[in-house]
Amino acid sequence: MTLVAGCDVGSLTSKAVIMKDNQLVGIGVIKSLSDPQDSADSAMNLALKNAGCSLSDIKYCVGTGYGRERISFVNEAKSEIACHGKGALWLVPSVRTVIDIGGQDCKVIRIDKDGVVEKFITNDKCASGTGRFLEVMAKVLNISLDELGDLTEKTETPITFASMCTVWAQADIIKYLNSGHSVEDIGAGINAAMAKRVAMLAGAVKPEKDVCMTGGVAKNKGVVSTLEKVMGVRIRKVRKADPQIAGAIGAALFSKARLNGGGAR
Amino acid sequence: MMEVLYDAATRIRSDRVNTWKENGGRVVGYTCSYVPSEVFHASGILPYRIRGIETESMEIADAYFGPYICTFPKCVLQLAGKGKYNFLDGAIITPGCDSMRRLDECWRKAGDTIPGIVPPFFYYFDVPHKSTGHGSRWFRQEIVNLIAALEQQFGVKVTDEKLHDSIRLYNKGRALLKELEDLRAKDVVTISGTDAFAVAMAGTAMPRDEYTKHLENLVDELKKKKSKSKDTRKRIMIIGSISDDLSLVQLVEESGQAVVVAENLCFGVRDEGNVVDESGDPVDALGKAYLGESTCPRMYGKYKERLATLKSIIERSRVDAVVMQNIRFCDLHGSENGLFERDLEKEGIPCIRLEREYGPLVETGRLRMRIDAFFERLYSHPSRQETVHDMEAV
Amino acid sequence: MRPEIKEYNMDWMLSSIMMAASKTADGSEKEYLRLLEYIPYFSGILDPIKKEGKPGITFLKMFSDYLENIVTAHDKGKKVAMTTFCFSPSILYSLGIVPVTLEVLSTFAALMWKRGTADYLDFCTELGFTETACSAQRGSLGAYLAGLGAKIDMVVCDTPGVCDTNANAFTFAASYLDKPYYQLNYPQTLTDGRTSTYHLDDYRGMIEFLEKTTGKKLDLDHLRGILEEIKIQDQLVADLDDMHRLIPTPLPVLYNLFIYAGRFMFAGYPQYTKLLTEMIEASNERAKAGESGLRSGKEKLRAFMCYIDHYSMDLKFFDWMDRKGIAHLGGILSRTFRDNSSYLAQLPGSGYAIDTTSFESLINSVAQMNARMPMIRSIRGPYDRPGMALDETLALLKMFNADCVIYNGTPGCRNTWGFLKPFSMELEKYGYPTHIMNTDAFDERVESWEVSQERLNEFFKIRGLL
Repeated sequence: MTLVAGCDVGSLTSKAVIMKDNQLVGIGVIKSLSDPQDSADSAMNLALKNAGCSLSDIKYCVGTGYGRERISFVNEAKSEIACHGKGALWLVPSVRTVIDIGGQDCKVIRIDKDGVVEKFITNDKCASGTGRFLEVMAKVLNISLDELGDLTEKTETPITFASMCTVWAQADIIKYLNSGHSVEDIGAGINAAMAKRVAMLAGAVKPEKDVCMTGGVAKNKGVVSTLEKVMGVRIRKVRKADPQIAGAIGAALFSKARLNGGGAR
Repeated sequence: MMEVLYDAATRIRSDRVNTWKENGGRVVGYTCSYVPSEVFHASGILPYRIRGIETESMEIADAYFGPYICTFPKCVLQLAGKGKYNFLDGAIITPGCDSMRRLDECWRKAGDTIPGIVPPFFYYFDVPHKSTGHGSRWFRQEIVNLIAALEQQFGVKVTDEKLHDSIRLYNKGRALLKELEDLRAKDVVTISGTDAFAVAMAGTAMPRDEYTKHLENLVDELKKKKSKSKDTRKRIMIIGSISDDLSLVQLVEESGQAVVVAENLCFGVRDEGNVVDESGDPVDALGKAYLGESTCPRMYGKYKERLATLKSIIERSRVDAVVMQNIRFCDLHGSENGLFERDLEKEGIPCIRLEREYGPLVETGRLRMRIDAFFERLYSHPSRQETVHDMEAV
Repeated sequence: MRPEIKEYNMDWMLSSIMMAASKTADGSEKEYLRLLEYIPYFSGILDPIKKEGKPGITFLKMFSDYLENIVTAHDKGKKVAMTTFCFSPSILYSLGIVPVTLEVLSTFAALMWKRGTADYLDFCTELGFTETACSAQRGSLGAYLAGLGAKIDMVVCDTPGVCDTNANAFTFAASYLDKPYYQLNYPQTLTDGRTSTYHLDDYRGMIEFLEKTTGKKLDLDHLRGILEEIKIQDQLVADLDDMHRLIPTPLPVLYNLFIYAGRFMFAGYPQYTKLLTEMIEASNERAKAGESGLRSGKEKLRAFMCYIDHYSMDLKFFDWMDRKGIAHLGGILSRTFRDNSSYLAQLPGSGYAIDTTSFESLINSVAQMNARMPMIRSIRGPYDRPGMALDETLALLKMFNADCVIYNGTPGCRNTWGFLKPFSMELEKYGYPTHIMNTDAFDERVESWEVSQERLNEFFKIRGLL
């Protein structure tokens, strides 16, 4: 059977997947390097190694993410929006709304039953509402991102935070730490601020069920549980694969569609 | 010909402005499309729509404007502070919106510390927010007062005859631009949106007589132009708040998947406004035409009228999708875009809203990503035109 | 919006809290103290207001009446108009229309609820209304757009030409809800005859609109009654202003809020007259004894708020002033600009008169009064024009013997942030230390009160004021 690939070069991590018969056969996730081509090469090499094949076996590869046009082995470039929509549908077939929060951006995508994008929105402000916000805050609290995610369920009294601005929120955190508030209350407050920001963005595309989350922040339990409360929907868990690689999966599915004839829809 | 128009559209001190000044001509800048250009033309003054392009830093603007202000007036103040507008003999401020009207104080106060940056004639032109009855009476009086102020400041006499001549000349330009719009509405589009936008903008920054001639030649040329038999590009309309840099239009067109066939932006054809009645009292006619249609959301409560205008342009130019932009902190256009999106999408016209900073496109990467994804969405659904054709076939 | 927020209407929630709050004073002090334990969710705002004694209780009852009017309007066969704080409600009352003043609701929700108005603010954005718009309207607008409030029959505002973001909120509401809309708009000038004529013409247009929308004729006797009452109220406010000039001022910090909130809700109604009378009585006693209105009894400093107050939860800002020994000299919202006010001597042509003798004079009075409402009067044109923000602020600073100026507003305020920097530089030139708060008066998520407080403390320390 033919092998197809998808490659998603992000600002923080780069992902490549290889698929055969609609199944994942190789995955490569690396920390992004300064040059998109280098990042793509490393991620792809890792995926090829995992799949036990070489680049020449790949019949078609779609690239997405930053600098997608400049990757040498890519046959065609597609936007992250389309890839994330398509990838999410593969991960959770019932999904109609995808919330993808990566390191530097946040997207909410509404798709139809075939994974075609109906409406989308992305954050157009600074770092608020992105993974970067959580990273900065976790650093101020001197805990890991995973630990930050666990704090929400440990308290009933989260602090209300300045969710608008990463810089100002930092000042607030330091203030609360100094005045003796618990790390749980502060951490839960951070997760809640993040969730509310994302919920507002999501509201603008009129989300439909089922809703799922992809991207690195999907791993933050606190954000997910608060988001469920604020949006009043259950957010479907992605179990089939790491939600971080949804974009790369979508890209690979576009490759497959291209080989099966017709446009990459 | 295009070079001259491009020069005027993309440089603050274009060759044409330089020549005009070298020949002893006077220039008065204005900041809002509700200011009647004919009044200046009839005074022998070059009306110049003040721009924000060529801004490189913001330190002067930030010293006077607060942080939550639209970057367009900030850019204008910065440029003024840097002496880029020292060629102006006058400037007209209007209460177009809160950000723009506070340019009045910020510019004047900056002049206290940076001598020479405030033009000798600095005038506040008070445009009301309603266009009938007492609103139009107020506006008419404002035009009368403006004429008197120009006459006094520049020692000129503005007669009805001169005003009529200017109105006729400007109307000729308006008619030509209308022809250009019609050409852009054809099946095969022979002028890029970027070029068309540059052409329309040039009219606000160069001598009108010369501009009209260039425009006439361009329209003639386009009419004769042999075109491809089929144009498969998506037909885009760009609407929204102030925008005088070509880069946004370029960004939409550069992938080759789309052509911008119409705009409704604060600069461009909207600045040209309506045809002015050539008979009767010229001041009445100017007042009626300039205040007449509530094209800008600053004319509150006229959303339905603006939606109807938008729909008629969509119909005329057979627009497939609408790109809506607003400069950050422009609540007026930003919110109205939200309503437009709701009502146009309901009718199957895909829309995308973009909020951005004005100026050299600092956010190009992010905007690119969104526009690309928007095009994918357009290409993965049958376009409106195709649907219409299919239905006709049935 | 969270599903549980959608369970109850916003105005109903505020109304039931206020109704309960206003009744707490009916029992004994012991009962009240016991009760506080059972109402943790609004004891924080109830207690400081109740501590003001009679005026506090009257204020609670007045606000409760105002909200009850809103939630029962349709049952009583009345129309409901969405409107703004700087629009005098008298004309609406004269036509039997109940005003829903968005900013009043946003303010009290921000003062009262831990979550503030965050859910409603954010909901507006979901509908396409810009996030950068002013939170004063957005804070309750979201509820009405979501259908979580009394059904709106019409929208009336008066801010075009004065505050775009405010006008924009109302025009958005009218378009979104598809309701009849009227805007009074204002020229950039105030003191000349041409401007007065415009005020009047525009106001007449509005009366026509209101008559058409309600199907009623304006009840002139009712309007006259209201204006006569406003005459009395304006005199009472002028009396309070005079007492405010005393050093120390016998007026407590919270009185400023009572004065303007009362005016926005019930100008021309006996509830407001009662409130003002009680404030005067209480202040008179202190004035005679030469006592400060501050709880500590010690006035250390006199601060003028050149724009609006800060409405962080549980009245923390007001409490902080009180604790610090800072007398609150009012702000842009506090003064009437009736022709009998002492500061008008320095602001020629910028006040209004009330003349109820004829139909013409009645309409002109109410039109000119509306043109002198907060913001409408002082921030319409360039700030250094005659009678505008600079003249006004300097006149008030001098008259009330202010030591310093504090600006507080919202990031949505294009208008004031457009002139604030040169304006504050001028105030400093005149010798007034000026502090600019970088907060959102209605949304603590922008800057928490803890941080704002620290910055205020820092200002007073560095400038050697306290």
